[in-house]
Amino acid sequence: MSILDEGFRAPGGTSRNRPHGNLQILRFAVIGLFLLLGARLAQMQIVDGASYAQRSRENHIFQKNILPTRGLIEDRNGEPLVQNVGVYSASVLPEALPNADQFDDWKERRFKIYLKLEQLTGTSQLEIQSRVNDAEAAGQAYIAIKIADNLTKDQALALDEVTTEMPGVTLDITPGRLYLGNEFSHILGYIGPQFKEDAARLEGQGYQFNEPIGKDGLESRYESDLRGTVGYTAVEQDASGKQITALKSRDPVPGNSLKLAIDAPLQRYIAELLQDSLPDDPTYGAAHEAAAVVMDPNTGEVLAMVSIPTYDNNIWSESKIRGAELDALQNDNLTHTLTNKALSAAAPGSTFKIVTSTAGLEEGSITPNTSRYVGCSLEITGENNVIYTYPDWTCHDKVLDVRSALAWSSNVFMFLTAGGDLETTRGLGKSVEDSGAILATWARRFGFGSPTGIDLPGEGSGRVPDPAWKKRTYVGPGFNPGENEWFIGDTYNTAIGQGDVLATPLQVARMTAAIANGGKLVTPHLVDEIISPDGQTVRTIQPEFQDVGMSKATARVIAEGMLGSVQYGAGILAQLSNVSVAGKTGTAEFYDPDTGRKTQHAWFTGFAPFDKPEVVVTVYFDKGTGGVHAAPVAAKILQYYFDNVHR
Amino acid sequence: MSSVTYGGYGNGVRTNTSVWRGWDRFDYLLTLTAIALVGIGLVLIYSGSLSFYDGPLTSFSSPVFKQVIFACVGIAGMLVVSKLDYHYLTHYAWVLYGLGILSLIALLAIGQTSYGSTRWFDLGPIQLQPSEFAKLATILALARFFSEHGGDARDLRTLLISLVIVAPVAGLVFIQPDLGTSLVFFAIWIGIVVVAGANRSHLFVMAALFIAVLPFLWTFGIAQYQVGRVAVLVDSQEDPLGDGYNVNQSKIAVGSGQIFGKGFTNGDQTQLGYLKVATKDFIFSLLSEEFGFVGCVTVMSLFVLLLMRGVRAAQIAGDTAGQLVAVGIVMLILMQTVINIAVNLSVFPVTGIPLPFVSQGGSSLVSIFIAIGILQSIVMRHRAYRQT
Repeated sequence: MSILDEGFRAPGGTSRNRPHGNLQILRFAVIGLFLLLGARLAQMQIVDGASYAQRSRENHIFQKNILPTRGLIEDRNGEPLVQNVGVYSASVLPEALPNADQFDDWKERRFKIYLKLEQLTGTSQLEIQSRVNDAEAAGQAYIAIKIADNLTKDQALALDEVTTEMPGVTLDITPGRLYLGNEFSHILGYIGPQFKEDAARLEGQGYQFNEPIGKDGLESRYESDLRGTVGYTAVEQDASGKQITALKSRDPVPGNSLKLAIDAPLQRYIAELLQDSLPDDPTYGAAHEAAAVVMDPNTGEVLAMVSIPTYDNNIWSESKIRGAELDALQNDNLTHTLTNKALSAAAPGSTFKIVTSTAGLEEGSITPNTSRYVGCSLEITGENNVIYTYPDWTCHDKVLDVRSALAWSSNVFMFLTAGGDLETTRGLGKSVEDSGAILATWARRFGFGSPTGIDLPGEGSGRVPDPAWKKRTYVGPGFNPGENEWFIGDTYNTAIGQGDVLATPLQVARMTAAIANGGKLVTPHLVDEIISPDGQTVRTIQPEFQDVGMSKATARVIAEGMLGSVQYGAGILAQLSNVSVAGKTGTAEFYDPDTGRKTQHAWFTGFAPFDKPEVVVTVYFDKGTGGVHAAPVAAKILQYYFDNVHR
Repeated sequence: MSSVTYGGYGNGVRTNTSVWRGWDRFDYLLTLTAIALVGIGLVLIYSGSLSFYDGPLTSFSSPVFKQVIFACVGIAGMLVVSKLDYHYLTHYAWVLYGLGILSLIALLAIGQTSYGSTRWFDLGPIQLQPSEFAKLATILALARFFSEHGGDARDLRTLLISLVIVAPVAGLVFIQPDLGTSLVFFAIWIGIVVVAGANRSHLFVMAALFIAVLPFLWTFGIAQYQVGRVAVLVDSQEDPLGDGYNVNQSKIAVGSGQIFGKGFTNGDQTQLGYLKVATKDFIFSLLSEEFGFVGCVTVMSLFVLLLMRGVRAAQIAGDTAGQLVAVGIVMLILMQTVINIAVNLSVFPVTGIPLPFVSQGGSSLVSIFIAIGILQSIVMRHRAYRQT
């Protein structure tokens, strides 16, 4: 009997009872379950299909950004002040290291890699190992760990040669800057990684998280010009991260270059000169800080702007290896190296007499021909017949007009010009307070008390005191009642650039330029032109002026006074044999906050040639005497200018 | 005059015992539907294997070719089994059932472990999955049991004994662990007892009891990986590169197929390797991605057709045993298909159940064709055993 037979019989008669099951429920179950699945399918593919399609694209299309080359910065003659360099660093991707699935001896293989890395980069194998282990324990094996930064070119080359033998190790290159010369540090600034708090804002502007940004100076101010446009390549990647096809790409556009007004050799010459000329007077203490500004009075082009001491701004990118040095710089309270002294305010001293004289001539408290006998001091009879004595810096014992008063830098003449003597001579205004306010107004017209608008961040405003300011400020603890009144002494102090007046060397240079150019207040600028990568001029910085509000005649009188100062007066050490120099010395007394001793700033500001001014020089030392220390330095700068820069 | 009763019991009239007999009643539509699904499966396996196999199609290492071989073996098996009287199988049901349990126990001792679960015997070139065999053995055992008890599950005692038949196999599969397959066992049992006329109140009480113990099962019974898979289903972003990876990628694959799909061999998710096991458990995702809603509905319609032919087999079966075996096989195919598609559509935790006929894999393909063969055997003999 074949088992294929239909005749096979199961034992027992009950096996062939008539089937009586109701199968309708089974049919419903089949239809029902598939309808449910169909509904879910429709929801996923039809209702949400488009969004899943988008996610599918994002899943495998990876956009890789290519950072643009940053624009360069060069001086007025095309000399480069920065270079673009690659910053090399070594990273380890834990998940790409040899692992237990691949090799039995994976531990040895890893150890060999760590040892080689220690040998090449100097990062200890123990540190690498523990960082890899930590990352793996935290389930972050897919994030690359940077183990060494700022590798030297030799290290980078050596590492590059062996990366193929070391799975999981990569050599990364990020764009960096090399700055060519400490003299330009305060002007150029530096680039660095984005701060966490700025990252979100920068991302909105299309920045990549690893893209460096300008941090200070021109690098920061002209960031949008220097940066360029990020390029990208879009690639299709499979699940294991292998690139399948390149889909599209856009080349990065390099940033625009900056052509500066700065003359690099002049800048270097001045930096060296200032450093070597720092006064060390036993009476006033040693100078640590200095600044100089060289500017074209007709255009506002800044040919040199030096702040002493200089420093190496490459330190920011090498902060990991030069950490102690950077720390010292940032906590430097003696020389304030990181501060640009050309943009920080100090008492301007007698250079401010230019403002006082201009105010006197324009307001009518003096005429070009007003002559006064000036002795050693001015005595003012105050309330209750108390006699106050306001000394001059020396006993002039001469009859002075405004020109010779500027030349000899007479304090008494300026006191009387600004504040009168409360008896026979009137000051700038009808009352003591009026005189103070009018003097302050003229100071502001010359640009004091507000930033000059130079194309650098972090510029100081200086300070112009007036009766309203004093009323606001001289109150509260530490002040006696009524001390916030404006006294005639305040007008006198301001008139000679002492007391509460503060001005930056750049502001003083700008004032000087206004005298030189006949009354125009120019906006200084460091950048002359912005040049595209293919050499086309994108835009030229045009000179900008405001009107001081003085007559040409007044400017001429002041200029003659300054010429006298150099020819026969207090500024005689600024004299040159071949060029007629006009200038004004300044020596501002102040109490050194560090020592508590009375000391003085040294200033000289001048222009040349007298007949056809083309250059303004302002020199400042934190300690010294204007006529003795600043004037000869200004002379050397002008000599250099006329020998080497002048066209 | 004595009437002639064809196939009548004890009649002794066996006029035709040729192998050619009965093919007129063979359900060709059922078999063609199954072969159509296999054909679609071959197309999908070809597309899904492009990323890891680029050799010739006619090679024993080609996944498509291997699947063709297994399909031929399965179809041959189906033809043999369809010619075999299913009563022969129900006769030895208890022996087969015992072998099934033994093989599952043996598996726990010496089976191959992969993806944290022990489901295979490794026999050199082929892998055997004893749970496939145990499913059929259990269906036969249940059918035999009820046919000997008047085809009736109204009696609580009978119902409970039938549960005792299914519980050990389901339990052994559960501890492999294979949650999906143990659910298939219970679905088969429910299908059979419902058709066998179980008292509804009994079923409700048991369902209530099951729901009551579910939290304890969750805590003690379900392996940690299974908890992970269920949790991932609830929130697939919880662990995007771990358990949630597959769920996420299959969702993207299915959804991004939209109405007409991305086209044959054009599914990015599949071809770029984001979708894992695209030719096996996740072949429905591959179908969805490359052939879209239209392709999916076509395949699901073929399944509905195939299952309806299975229900027809149960409907026309000549006796209770045949009917219950057919119901069990319908439930088997239905549950495997629904669970697999539900996993692919992210409405069921990942369980590792292949899509019948379509997924790559010899063991399941051969055994499912043998199940079809049993259905055919029932269809071909329905008149012979129909009692007047």
